[in-house]
Amino acid sequence: MSAGSAGPPQASSHRSAQREGTRVNTAPLLVARGLTKTFGGLLAVDRLDLEVHAGEVLGVIGPNGAGKSTTFSMIAGALAPTAGGLEFDGASLIGLPTHAMAARGIMRTFQHNKPFASMSVRDNVMVGMHTGFTGSLWSVLGATRGAARAERDAVRRADELVAFVGLGEWRDADVETLSFGQGRLLEIARALAARPRLLMFDEPAAGLTPAECDRLGEIIRQIAGQGIAVLLIEHDMRFLMALADRVVVLNFGHKIAQGTPAEVRADPSVVSAYLGDLGAAAHA
Amino acid sequence: MKSLLGFVVAAVVLSAVAFMLGSYQTDIYRKLLLWTTLALSYNFLFGIAGQVAFSHFTFYGIGAYAILILLFQVGLPLPLAVLAGIALCVVLALVVAIPATRLEGFYLALATLAFAQLFIVVLNEGRTVTGAAGGLANYRLPDVFGVRVTGPWYTVVIVLLLLGTLAVLWRLDRSWFGRACRAVRDNPEAARAMGVDVARTKIIAYTITSAMAGVAGMVYAFVDNTVNPPIFGLPNSFLLLFMVIVGGSGRHAGAIIGAALLYLMPFVLSPLIGHHHALVFGVVMVAVVLFQPKGLIGLWDALMARRRAA
Repeated sequence: MSAGSAGPPQASSHRSAQREGTRVNTAPLLVARGLTKTFGGLLAVDRLDLEVHAGEVLGVIGPNGAGKSTTFSMIAGALAPTAGGLEFDGASLIGLPTHAMAARGIMRTFQHNKPFASMSVRDNVMVGMHTGFTGSLWSVLGATRGAARAERDAVRRADELVAFVGLGEWRDADVETLSFGQGRLLEIARALAARPRLLMFDEPAAGLTPAECDRLGEIIRQIAGQGIAVLLIEHDMRFLMALADRVVVLNFGHKIAQGTPAEVRADPSVVSAYLGDLGAAAHA
Repeated sequence: MKSLLGFVVAAVVLSAVAFMLGSYQTDIYRKLLLWTTLALSYNFLFGIAGQVAFSHFTFYGIGAYAILILLFQVGLPLPLAVLAGIALCVVLALVVAIPATRLEGFYLALATLAFAQLFIVVLNEGRTVTGAAGGLANYRLPDVFGVRVTGPWYTVVIVLLLLGTLAVLWRLDRSWFGRACRAVRDNPEAARAMGVDVARTKIIAYTITSAMAGVAGMVYAFVDNTVNPPIFGLPNSFLLLFMVIVGGSGRHAGAIIGAALLYLMPFVLSPLIGHHHALVFGVVMVAVVLFQPKGLIGLWDALMARRRAA
């Protein structure tokens, strides 16, 4: 599949339509209000407000210990917030078990790839479709026509997704034979398999070669282009600034700035807290 | 369709064998089929769902005792006794599985070991209900719709049990459920992120496979026409584990190979080296665990891969 074509095969047309018109007028898909997490006496995230709209890439940056990962874990349902609200498409996410997120349309990738090691690339992606299978176990045991069709469709769509991220040649391969960068692409295909409305990336560029980063950026742009909301937590400033529509900057658990990449870059508090150090390091 | 044809051919061939055997060989053949059935369902639980449980052979025993007690002490007709026996296995499996899903690896193994030991205690203390240490004997299979199923025809029943078990497991394995089980085994955290309810998946896998072991136990009850506590003790639970590991855990073919090899090995080796066959068993186990963790089926895979490359 050529990089410039269709984008994630599962995105439906009405979602792409949401990208029409200005973002300001659409209701945000994900809303965090006063999100707070303390670990004992440590305030990891302090009253964070955050919104992600369909079709946009929201970048979250900050130095080590800024609370990026804690924020990510809270939204992904892996960590319960100490206080604050979290709403997705108007419904609260607070108290939902982690496995209920996928059915709501929230998927994530892992910073350290977490493939299902004993399974093929295709089967890994098919696990991502878990919530899409609505047939009961009885229909599986009875080998009903519906179950067989669901299985066939799933195989076909898995192959499309594997091709979309560029792993077409490896679809029958054991995941253990993949490189780290390929493993990252598999994470994305697996997450897309659930037809997410919000896709969360946990430092996706970490450990990738520059060429792989470029390819990753292209894929993320296409995903957002299909109307999927993208939340990107990233350490790699250059990668994120080139990709994000809006950026939220965290420092010691506080939001110190937000805006377009250009606005954030010019913000004096950001420059002193974070970019200044990095900039100085880059020039050294 | 192709797989259905395969099952029919296998049923005909395996059944035909039953009519060619003498009584001694029939006994060995029937137990080989039963061990294979058990290894297949245990492979799903241990190999595919990744649960290190030692209760599988216990459910085999529960099935065997339950059908006899329900038939001859409660006085249920055969079809009802079978259904009630399955229901009992399901309930007991849930009782074990629901608290045990919080446990992993070593702790699940301990909890199921305790359950297995408890079963033996209950059998020994069960007075006339379980026949205590002597077990139950002097019974025979009631007529099924007025037909007395004996000899090779009962072996055909076991063949159908084996193939039915394989068919169910095959379907489960190649479905969203089988993938969820493997995902939970490989990486529970990632499985959760994919929307898999990890606890529920574990409970269902444990309950289905345990009930299947129970059904196999019901069939076994009329093979020797006697059941007693030592049969269902830990040595056989471990043998089952070894069968799956030696054959190649996670693979149906591996379970079949492992069951056949470890069950038949003593019969082949005893005439040659007497009791030293246990030593060979030990050496085979250690060699497989050290040098071929994917089991004998892994060896076969490597061979095939080399052939394709050549």
